[in-house]
Amino acid sequence: MGGLSSVMESDSSDRRHVDRNRDRGAEAHGEEAAFTELYRDYRTRLHQYALSLVRDREAAEDAVHDAFLGWVRQLSAGKTPRQAAPYLYASVRNRCLDRLRRRPEIALDDAHVELLAAPAGDEERIRLRQALNRLLLALPEEQREVVVLRTWHDMEFAAIAALQGTPVSTAIARYHYALAKLRKELEAHE
Amino acid sequence: MNDDRVERLLRGYGLPEAPLALDRRVLAQAERILARTRARAAAAGIAREFANALGFGYVSYVVDLVTATDAEYRVDLI
Repeated sequence: MGGLSSVMESDSSDRRHVDRNRDRGAEAHGEEAAFTELYRDYRTRLHQYALSLVRDREAAEDAVHDAFLGWVRQLSAGKTPRQAAPYLYASVRNRCLDRLRRRPEIALDDAHVELLAAPAGDEERIRLRQALNRLLLALPEEQREVVVLRTWHDMEFAAIAALQGTPVSTAIARYHYALAKLRKELEAHE
Repeated sequence: MNDDRVERLLRGYGLPEAPLALDRRVLAQAERILARTRARAAAAGIAREFANALGFGYVSYVVDLVTATDAEYRVDLI
């Protein structure tokens, strides 16, 4: 009896292994669909975030590309990070900062990137878009990052501070300094 | 003009679309990586079935036991 049960156990265990491999194949198909969805959800935001950090189109695309492929490699190794957003934002940020360490930031006059899209028919925003875009790009890097993450990515100050590795009060102060600067420049512009 | 107005003004803007070339690049490469994963899983399945048929099922059990890893959170630091 012991022999039979051990054979049955071994048989069911073998089947489990085979099933696990079949599951792995089906999982990979599901993972592909899940990845496409994840990519669609984050591509625009991460692209704008990277643009705001490096002020360079090509470098921003490379950072987003590498971050997403890093995620896929983790996925294919069976090590999916628990949360997508913190992983992807930290990954894009690290890649952008690495790029800035290797090559200095592009001069403001040579930075031909758009961080904003004005809604159709909104005359005031259409009129101010170019000036605001330039003012945003002219902000100090760490202030620009806080404004972008807070305004268009709905990120809490605590999450921004964690990303920047600063106290929450610093992130809040950076945001307010940036807003004050933008207000002053906009008043001068108008 | 005050800071609230600047905040509202900024929030009214949308984000520029990511370039299509980036979409193509990322999705094509991701597909290749995941296809390789599928192929590896299929090959491992066949090898396992073959080993089981020859009576070496315990080998794959031991391999699974040793190579199984827990999912973990990791951020690549460069």
